[in-house]
Amino acid sequence: MKGNKGYIWKRLVRSVLSIIVIMVVVFIMVYSLVPRENIFFNDGTYSKLGGKPDEKKDYVMRTWQKLGYLDYQTINTYCEDLYGDNTEKVSACIIPESNESKDFVEKYETQGYTVETLQVSKRYYAFKDVPLAKRLLTWFKDLIVIDHPWKIQDENNPDLERYIKPGLTETGGLALRASGTLHKYLIYTDTNFPFIHQNIITLNMGNSYPTYQGLDVLDVIFNYQGTEVKRPVTYETGYQGDSSVIFGTLQYKPILDKMDKQKFVDNYADAKLLKNQQSMIGTSFIMGIFAMVLAYAIGLPVGLSMAKHKDGLIDKLGMVYIIFIIAVPSLAYIYVFRYIGTKFLGLPSVFPTFGASDIRSWILPVISLALPSISSLMLWTRRYVVDQMNSDYVKFAKAKGLNQSEIFRSHIFKNAIIPIAQGIPSSLAGCITGAIITESIYSVGGMGKMLPDATKQYNNVMVIALTFIFSSISVLSVLMGDLVLTWVDPRIQLSEKEGRS
Amino acid sequence: MEEKDKELFSFADFDEYKSEHINAPRYSYWKSVWRTFISDKFTVAVAIILIIVVGFALIQPSFSGYDPMVAPNINNGAMKFLSPSKEHIFGTDNIGNSVFDAVWAGAKNSILVSFICTAINMVLGIVVGAIWGFSKKLDKYMIEVYNVVSNVPFLLLAIILSYVIGAGFKPLIFTMTVTDWVFVAYFIRTQVMIIRDREYNLASKCLGTSTWTMITKNILPYLISVIMTYVSREIPSLISYEVFLSYMGLGLGSSIASLGKIISQYTSFMNGYPHLFWIPVSVMAIISISLYIVGQKLADAADPRTHR
Repeated sequence: MKGNKGYIWKRLVRSVLSIIVIMVVVFIMVYSLVPRENIFFNDGTYSKLGGKPDEKKDYVMRTWQKLGYLDYQTINTYCEDLYGDNTEKVSACIIPESNESKDFVEKYETQGYTVETLQVSKRYYAFKDVPLAKRLLTWFKDLIVIDHPWKIQDENNPDLERYIKPGLTETGGLALRASGTLHKYLIYTDTNFPFIHQNIITLNMGNSYPTYQGLDVLDVIFNYQGTEVKRPVTYETGYQGDSSVIFGTLQYKPILDKMDKQKFVDNYADAKLLKNQQSMIGTSFIMGIFAMVLAYAIGLPVGLSMAKHKDGLIDKLGMVYIIFIIAVPSLAYIYVFRYIGTKFLGLPSVFPTFGASDIRSWILPVISLALPSISSLMLWTRRYVVDQMNSDYVKFAKAKGLNQSEIFRSHIFKNAIIPIAQGIPSSLAGCITGAIITESIYSVGGMGKMLPDATKQYNNVMVIALTFIFSSISVLSVLMGDLVLTWVDPRIQLSEKEGRS
Repeated sequence: MEEKDKELFSFADFDEYKSEHINAPRYSYWKSVWRTFISDKFTVAVAIILIIVVGFALIQPSFSGYDPMVAPNINNGAMKFLSPSKEHIFGTDNIGNSVFDAVWAGAKNSILVSFICTAINMVLGIVVGAIWGFSKKLDKYMIEVYNVVSNVPFLLLAIILSYVIGAGFKPLIFTMTVTDWVFVAYFIRTQVMIIRDREYNLASKCLGTSTWTMITKNILPYLISVIMTYVSREIPSLISYEVFLSYMGLGLGSSIASLGKIISQYTSFMNGYPHLFWIPVSVMAIISISLYIVGQKLADAADPRTHR
């Protein structure tokens, strides 16, 4: 592994480049190949505006501007900038015959904007497409947000203190407390996994549209789901009550309402809520991990003994299972399996019956998810071991008088496991992307449906965010897989050495 | 020795040709593959079933002239949801069409799509994967090409391709192969890498064997069994792929029947009219299972170490 250090660094750099290329490709696909009108297919507000062409046009333009497609200017904002609150002058200014309208047309036409008029009122508006390269750069520039004490610049709150100091959270966890920052606690500890949390570096991938409208896309996939879990808490003001606020996530809130003032001593009053279900990504990951462990725990030993007793009873039975899984569509065998589980074992047929806190809800989905992995692990383990069994070194070992189990344990298994070990990081990464069919049959709130749904509903921001997350993880797992490969078989060299071609 | 015995023997002539020739039974690779393959009666039976089913699926639709857009019995309640009988071998479906005709018309298209796609994917994947796995210089770049191509969301690509090239038979094949071969290539790359640095290949390289000879003579024959196993999985998995695309409305389009579409369409009738669901699933299962068994046996037969 030592000699690989330089190689790993170079490869990491190239991996980052690949991720950037993936993002460029996806940006081009999403923002220039998919017709931009499609994003309104699932937008309720848009369909309500059907009979009002002016409002509809304005809504369309504003939405496109919000999503970064173009820059949009109207005569209304132009006039309001000129005359402020003087409503008489503004209403005289916005009519198409006014001098200001002429100035507006001239100003934006010289800047390369396309100037058009609304269908009914004939008022002017101008728009210009934002180049794709600029959008991509903005996306990457806004991606990483670093929190610091000069982050919040609020005109209404000039006396905001600016400091970082150690302290405790309201629930008594150790924390690094700050003011002037976006987050109240830069680092905090609590009883939720992974126990130590940080808010210094956060990722920003934009707001979701048209599904989950207005929510940060990362909040959609990372926040708790379900109903709120309330527990008695004491706020810093001494106010006591039942609340589901996660204090570690408190953020700056510019305008406080009455309740906020009762509960909080400062402007940090916006927090995420504790709910009874894991986040989408958490649910998929828990399910995936258990299914993966189950698959390796069953698939490997069974595949091994199938190869050991090739053409014997266990081999034939295993083959029947493998063929069944391969040949029957997953839709069909998951239904069959669910029928058996609910009928004879009394397990719930859908996940929400008992919820995430009950272990019975997890059993059927996890096993259903493991079924195909078990079959493919059995298949490949058997294939690799059988291939090794026919090789000359095994015959030689046999001739030298080694017993069967020793040949298997220390010779065949070690060689057969190489290609299987390479796949472990990828299957680990696969847990995060979720399982579309299993999750929809058992109504599990996981990641499986997110990317297909976002694509179908033209939730472009979500598609880009998910592609970025999934591709980063998968690029890394490919690298990890190759490192595992060199670890289990030191004969394999990833990089070229001096004097060897 | 006695005179009498001596008469039984005679001196043989010196034959230069025979003395220079090693006397071993003639070995022909393909004949041995064939002999190993037909030695198992069960596999031969499965292969015959496979040929009959595939042949029937390819021929029957031209006689039935089934068209999913034509539904003559759609307003005739008496013709809907009939159970299998002499007249309607597989019964009828929710719009009164014969399930028998529908299943075979669907099977024909699904078989063609999966066969053609598998052929394209495997040929491209093996050629690229073998060179990629062998050359460390190329690996540097190809691994990033793989990272990029394999991470572009497939559904997004399929949607965009459906705008650009439309729906239908050829567009579907294009959609299902345009990125899928990369996965085959990556799989082959890893397999080649594992054998590439084995001692016999290092020795072969030291002796000056060319890259091409090493790939085709030293490495690929070693991988035949693995490749055949991959192929026998690839065909059923491509059929499920097509089910997924049909489910998303991106498959062959509504005017062309396919097994995947029939299965996803009939899933909703599973409780009321189970035959509607299980008949197409069984046909698909028969095709996949027999393909798989024949493929596995071919994989074993293609491995020279099993030849006697």
